[in-house]
Amino acid sequence: MSLNDKLKDLRTSGIDDAKRAERIQELNDLRVNLLGKKGPITKALRGMKDVPVDERPEMGTLANNVKKDIQAAIEEKMEELNRKIVAKKLEEETIDVTLPAQPKKYGTRHILNQTIEDIEEFFIGLGYRVDAGHEVEEDHYNFERLNIPQNHPARDMQDTFYLTDQLLMRTQTSAQEGRDMESHDFSKGPLKVISPGVVYRRDDDDATHSHQFHQIEGLVVDKNVSMADLKGTLEALCRHVFGAEREIRFRPSYFPFTEPSVEVDVSCFNCGGKGCRICKYTGWIEVLGAGLSHPNVLEMSGIDSTVYSGIAFGLGPERFAMLKYGVNDIRDFYSNDVRFLEQFKGVN
Amino acid sequence: MKISVNWLKEYIPVTHTVEEMANKISLTGIESSPVHNAEGLDKLVVGHITSISQHPDSDHLNITTVDVGEDDDIQIVCGAPNVANDQYVIVALHGAHLPEGKRIKKGKIRGQESNGMICGLDEIGVPTKYVPEAYHKGIYVFPEVVTPGTDALVALGLSDDMVDMDITPNRADTLGMRGAAWEIGATYDEKPKYTAPVIDEAKIVDSNDLAVDIENKELVPDFLVRTLKNVTVGESPLWMQRRLWNQNIQPVNNVIDAANYVMIEFGQPIQAYDLDKLQEKRITVRNAKSGEKFSTELNNQDDDENTNTILNKNDLVVAAGEQILGLAGVAGGISARVTNETKNVVLESAVYDGAAVRKAAQRHDLRGDASNRFEKGVDNGAVSDALVRATQLVDENAHASEISDELVGVGTEAKPTVIKSKISHINHLMGLDLTAEKIMSIFDRLGFTAELDNDDVTVTIPTRRWDMSIEADLVEEVIRIYGYENLKGTLPTGMETAGGYSPKREFSNKLRNILLGQGMNEVINFSLMNKKESEDFNVIDTNYTKLLHPMTEDHEYLRTSLIPGLVNNVAYNQARNNNDISIFEQARIFDRPDGVDRPNEIEYIAGAISGNIALDSWNTQSKQVDFYDVKGIVEELLSFTNIDANFEYRATNKISNLHPGQTAEIIADGQSIGFIGKLHPDYQKEHSIDETFVFELNVDTLFGMEKRNVQAKTAPKYPSISRDLAILVNKDIESGAIVKDIFDNGGKYLIDVNIFDVYQGVNIKANHKSLGYHLVFQNPEDTLTDDTVEKAFDVVKDSLVQKFNVEIR
Repeated sequence: MSLNDKLKDLRTSGIDDAKRAERIQELNDLRVNLLGKKGPITKALRGMKDVPVDERPEMGTLANNVKKDIQAAIEEKMEELNRKIVAKKLEEETIDVTLPAQPKKYGTRHILNQTIEDIEEFFIGLGYRVDAGHEVEEDHYNFERLNIPQNHPARDMQDTFYLTDQLLMRTQTSAQEGRDMESHDFSKGPLKVISPGVVYRRDDDDATHSHQFHQIEGLVVDKNVSMADLKGTLEALCRHVFGAEREIRFRPSYFPFTEPSVEVDVSCFNCGGKGCRICKYTGWIEVLGAGLSHPNVLEMSGIDSTVYSGIAFGLGPERFAMLKYGVNDIRDFYSNDVRFLEQFKGVN
Repeated sequence: MKISVNWLKEYIPVTHTVEEMANKISLTGIESSPVHNAEGLDKLVVGHITSISQHPDSDHLNITTVDVGEDDDIQIVCGAPNVANDQYVIVALHGAHLPEGKRIKKGKIRGQESNGMICGLDEIGVPTKYVPEAYHKGIYVFPEVVTPGTDALVALGLSDDMVDMDITPNRADTLGMRGAAWEIGATYDEKPKYTAPVIDEAKIVDSNDLAVDIENKELVPDFLVRTLKNVTVGESPLWMQRRLWNQNIQPVNNVIDAANYVMIEFGQPIQAYDLDKLQEKRITVRNAKSGEKFSTELNNQDDDENTNTILNKNDLVVAAGEQILGLAGVAGGISARVTNETKNVVLESAVYDGAAVRKAAQRHDLRGDASNRFEKGVDNGAVSDALVRATQLVDENAHASEISDELVGVGTEAKPTVIKSKISHINHLMGLDLTAEKIMSIFDRLGFTAELDNDDVTVTIPTRRWDMSIEADLVEEVIRIYGYENLKGTLPTGMETAGGYSPKREFSNKLRNILLGQGMNEVINFSLMNKKESEDFNVIDTNYTKLLHPMTEDHEYLRTSLIPGLVNNVAYNQARNNNDISIFEQARIFDRPDGVDRPNEIEYIAGAISGNIALDSWNTQSKQVDFYDVKGIVEELLSFTNIDANFEYRATNKISNLHPGQTAEIIADGQSIGFIGKLHPDYQKEHSIDETFVFELNVDTLFGMEKRNVQAKTAPKYPSISRDLAILVNKDIESGAIVKDIFDNGGKYLIDVNIFDVYQGVNIKANHKSLGYHLVFQNPEDTLTDDTVEKAFDVVKDSLVQKFNVEIR
């Protein structure tokens, strides 16, 4: 057999062997056996001396090509086997993704605090400071400074837990108004503050009353604030909390520390104002009270009421949360059943 | 007060439904709701009894024939004891609907045909307490001729539509029909028309039957009386009775009814006395003597008995010498009460100090229509007119022979309030730009007199609007009548301000986020707790703060720790099978120093974990919470405080209700900042809860501590070398002490020590434990050699042997 034929035979059988291989090891063996220094191709090339000189380059090229072809066949097969191995491994590693996870729980913030913080952040965005105030307060700040002197009929509206004659559990976060007004330096700009926190009333606890609940008081005092500013501010708040489509309306009311005073209704977020059970078929839901700071309140803090005016508003996070999430019993907020708490995960 | 549309029509035209009116009045001034009366009732007519005979088979039933305005009279069997011939009565015809779904059908009563029912007022929906006494047991008899067949509900005023105005305390001016008409009139731009009350001049005499002598002008600014002689006390005309029971007032007689009627009409309470029952013919208003007794028919117990009230010296009484006629402004007494036998009458129209009335009414639980009005104020410009009106009505209905002049015990001139303002300032406060003309027209609508001088406006307010005193009041009147719906919202302009939380609140928020990140749910508990709870965890050893007048024993003391609330939450949840609980609260506790009343409010953050922290699942085993789980949370929390201090956990058995062997006080730079521990088994049992671990940290203290000043270091480039150390040591030696000693002796390249094994028991010497530590050495500047590490390791081992007598294993 000529060298030429020998090489071609080796190519044919080499490629066939590579194709037939089933394991990586076979291919590695094939490579060593066929293409190694002791392999048949190397051996065959030793017969080159019998080849005429002028044919030798051609034969050399052929031998190299045979090597390359076999090499290529081995590599191709190698890849194929590797793919199979990976595929098999992937197959073996397949899991049931519907099995339950390892819980990695983030705790749930209390819904009242979520509600409060949502409102706080809204007002921070409008340039308001957040000032929490005192839960134990002087009668002076809780009542007198809010234009509610002793024997004022408005004291009937809120029964008070007293600690001493002069000390009480604050009944309203408005109690912070006097402190904020008297300590503010108006040369540094307007007073813009909200006071969130816990307040107390001498009430029996039932589905709609709690002796402890929360309020957020808002106050702006400047040379140029008006009833229109109050309306715009509360409109923006109600849209933030209850939805962009909401309208608000003012109804005259009475608070000793504001004049004029208004109750604020928001158009029903459930029915859009058409009338439903939630809005008692009026299309409107009462959400907060507000007004222009009473001149007496400004003057008692040393603010000239002929130059400055104030807008003030107070809202109840419990009421907001009850409306927004359909909570029917205020006691649910304070019994802290984790099933109740956890349903508000991530709502704000 | 409920405003009857029929009555209102006497003053202003009314063209709207009560629904529309209530809505408009609510948006303009006073929260109102529509009231439809006698809904669902029908076939009730006025009947005239034309004959009556005894029922043959009954000793208490009568057979009547009644003219009900139809061709033929109808026969009705009636069991009422007061039925009689020629009465005008309420008849429920066949098919009539009565309250509570009751229906009248013709039928036979003991064999006698009965084609309807003759009714009492209570049977057609008037609560018994407002039915005139005479008709409590039996049918109602009209006091005058009414055409048979007339709709009885209309004749009785029971189907009157009304608007119920729920006033705020400042708008008591609408607690009378005339004031309400002004308000509703202003809403609809209609000026009310009133007829001035008059007394028959011919009957007026100069009287000196009675002296009136009032000294305390502060508490009684006005006190006017008139006397009427030889009156005939009897039933009031129907028109007056129906207006009274529609106001939830029981008609009594034509003197007392007139007094009550004027209160509704003018908002001015009027008292009536029997002149002849006065023990002295001299009326005074004085303070009661302590222990003096007073009887009144006004009481809030809804029973028929007179209440005997014991007075005290703060009570103001109307008296004739020793005899108490009434508790001033609160309740009339029975000692000089006007009855059917009364001949000579005294009518009183007075103003009493609101606060005094309010306190007296509260003190004796005698709040009523009169005290409600005096508390909130009455129009002192109408005191005299109201007395004239009451006198006129008594005279018209009870026919006096003589009427006295007004006897003035004390009088205070009623001065209209004058408010000066500027049109521009009113607009400025509203955020509007109304013309002076528009604003002036609103003042006119309200019946205010206003004078304009360029921008200046001077407004004279009639005395009926005593709520008005300052410019802001004018602003409110203008804007509400103009309509809040016409006000366009704007945001405050002015200097920009940087809003935000206080640094303290930022710090609190950060701590809370760590605990949320540890999977703990946030709770909110009450600050007020019972005595036992407050004592259970007074860890800070402070004085208790107690409410003066708690509502219940459950909420009597201000909390000095958040733990009792958390324990309640664990108990509440575990009782409902929510067994695995991990909760925290961030709130204030109340720390009251010796000798002061006001407690300091200190923010704390506290947590409670009970049950499993990992659950049994298809690939994991459950794990119950232990001390070290909670310690891990606390350590992570503290590391986020960024405080530049070492936190030390010092075992303590001093906190009652915590496990004496599983509790640590946490110390930072010598200062106690809180604790962590397991609840005492007895305490857990008391609350029926599983093993529970708690912690509590003082946020204010942590906030006040010095924070780390972080200067960046490059992450080390050189490899670290580690050594493991296993020792045998007496079981009472704390690992903390050993770790500290390792660090003290490990040299500058020792960067970390971890404990990887704690073992006690089989194969270990009695009273000893085996501990395994992993020490990590690293030189940030260079590659460490084994030699260097070995030397440092030897020093560590030698020191442990010397100090703790450990055995190196």
